[in-house]
Amino acid sequence: MNLKELYQEIILEHGKNPRNLGKTDNFNKDAKGNNPLCGDNVHIYLKLNDQRKVEDISFEGSGCAISMASASIMTDLMKGKSDNEAKEIIEDFLGMIKENPELKSNILKEDDKTKLMCLSGVKQYPMRVKCATLSWHTLVSAMENDGKEISTEK
Amino acid sequence: MNIDDIKKEFPIFDEKIQNNDLVYLDSANSSQKPKVVIDRINEFYTKQFSNVGRSIHYLAVAATNLYENTRSSVQKYINAKDKNEIVFTKGATEALNLVANTLGQKYLDEGDEILLTELEHHSNYVPWHYLRKSKNIKINFAEINDEGEIPIENIEKMITPKTKVIAVNHLSNVTGAILPIKEITELAHSKGIIVVVDGCQGAPHLKIDVQDLDCDFYAISCHKMYGPTGLGILYGKKKWLEELPPYQGGGGMIKEVKKDRITYGDLPNKYEAGTMATAQVIAFDQSIKFLENIGIENIIKHEKELIEYGQEVLRKNNSVKIIGNPKNKGGVLSFTIEGVHPHDIATILDEDGVAIRAGHHCCQILHDKLEIPASARASVGVYNTKEDFDQLNESINKCKKIFDLK
Repeated sequence: MNLKELYQEIILEHGKNPRNLGKTDNFNKDAKGNNPLCGDNVHIYLKLNDQRKVEDISFEGSGCAISMASASIMTDLMKGKSDNEAKEIIEDFLGMIKENPELKSNILKEDDKTKLMCLSGVKQYPMRVKCATLSWHTLVSAMENDGKEISTEK
Repeated sequence: MNIDDIKKEFPIFDEKIQNNDLVYLDSANSSQKPKVVIDRINEFYTKQFSNVGRSIHYLAVAATNLYENTRSSVQKYINAKDKNEIVFTKGATEALNLVANTLGQKYLDEGDEILLTELEHHSNYVPWHYLRKSKNIKINFAEINDEGEIPIENIEKMITPKTKVIAVNHLSNVTGAILPIKEITELAHSKGIIVVVDGCQGAPHLKIDVQDLDCDFYAISCHKMYGPTGLGILYGKKKWLEELPPYQGGGGMIKEVKKDRITYGDLPNKYEAGTMATAQVIAFDQSIKFLENIGIENIIKHEKELIEYGQEVLRKNNSVKIIGNPKNKGGVLSFTIEGVHPHDIATILDEDGVAIRAGHHCCQILHDKLEIPASARASVGVYNTKEDFDQLNESINKCKKIFDLK
């Protein structure tokens, strides 16, 4: 276990000053997610344009440094991506958090990968994995727009 | 038994937890177990095991006697009038579900009201919530004051002619407030209202005399009381337990079973369907003896000193905000740190072997009221020392350093 790996500068900085926090104007898709065990909650707002590209994305919510940083970094890098690209990135990220040693997607730029890999510290803290993944699962739900609330506890 | 070196009675403190000495400040969640309790489970399974209350062979009779001995010990420990007022359940949660369910079946009608408080644990709210749906019962909440207490006036002003049940916790698992149960009972009974007490935090840390409290029901969680998991106790006044219907059906709770009719057993069997947590019940006798050997007065004094010390230390630490300031407070200290989420606090403390709880502690109503999503909680047991709070404070400082707080 290594706290320094978990609480890297980038995480602490995004956690303290989350990007894209708030409700974006003109969103056309949204979804809520919550972790009933700890009370973390997130609401993702998404604007997909006619070309199915992420025109805007933001989030509201409260949670620990890990969950806020994860939502912040995620929303930042999703801007301008098509829905298929977004899905590929989500799958890649969740795979990395779960088991893969690194990110594979070619869509991700090197510095995006570096930022996302900062979240890999949670692998050593099984109870904290949900903090890192909640916003990502919620984004999937928003894109599918089935209005289903995501919970970390089924 | 001297409370100052009670720690050595608990084998877990000989273990290194991630290379650290364990600073266990999570007893409100569950207490650690003394060696006598652990050994008793082992001994029962090794040398004495049999199911109870059914067969007539030697082991079965001996096990039944041991099982019933615990019932007598519990009766004495909480000063119940009758041994049959003690019902074993799988936990305090089941005990509260039993009360809500059977009162709902037999005693409550559409439009009746149940009064809870904003301090209640989910296990003393959700079982009553079911009655909202099934019987159209209304649930009201007595409010906390600024200190995180429930003064009797706040209960009184929520009572209406429709109030049939008041269900309250004895000691809050978040603010540590000790509720004035005796006053609540007096008030309630003067209006013909039943009082149900969630004693999960009360039973391990306070002197319990159910006849003096005069409550109608009192629920106990054994694993918070230096006992095994999977076991709870429901105390109920005999007249209620006799009058109310059974909760679950199965073996052991019947008198006679025919194709066209069934009659139920007498107390307490009526409420103990199926094979019970036999080893746990028998081992719990050792938990009671352990508490009796220390003496509840000594426990109360020790834990009061600890929590006063803990408050003193944390109050000096700026950026720590303690939740609630009840005059009459048990061994629970919940807090927040401005700028650090409780989960981050808990993870960082854990690295030093300091075990606390972070979250809403099954009290979402209270956290909503306080307008915080979660809190961190340090709670004590007989084995804690002032040094544990020094270590807590030191680890909090480490936390502040990581998050760049002054």
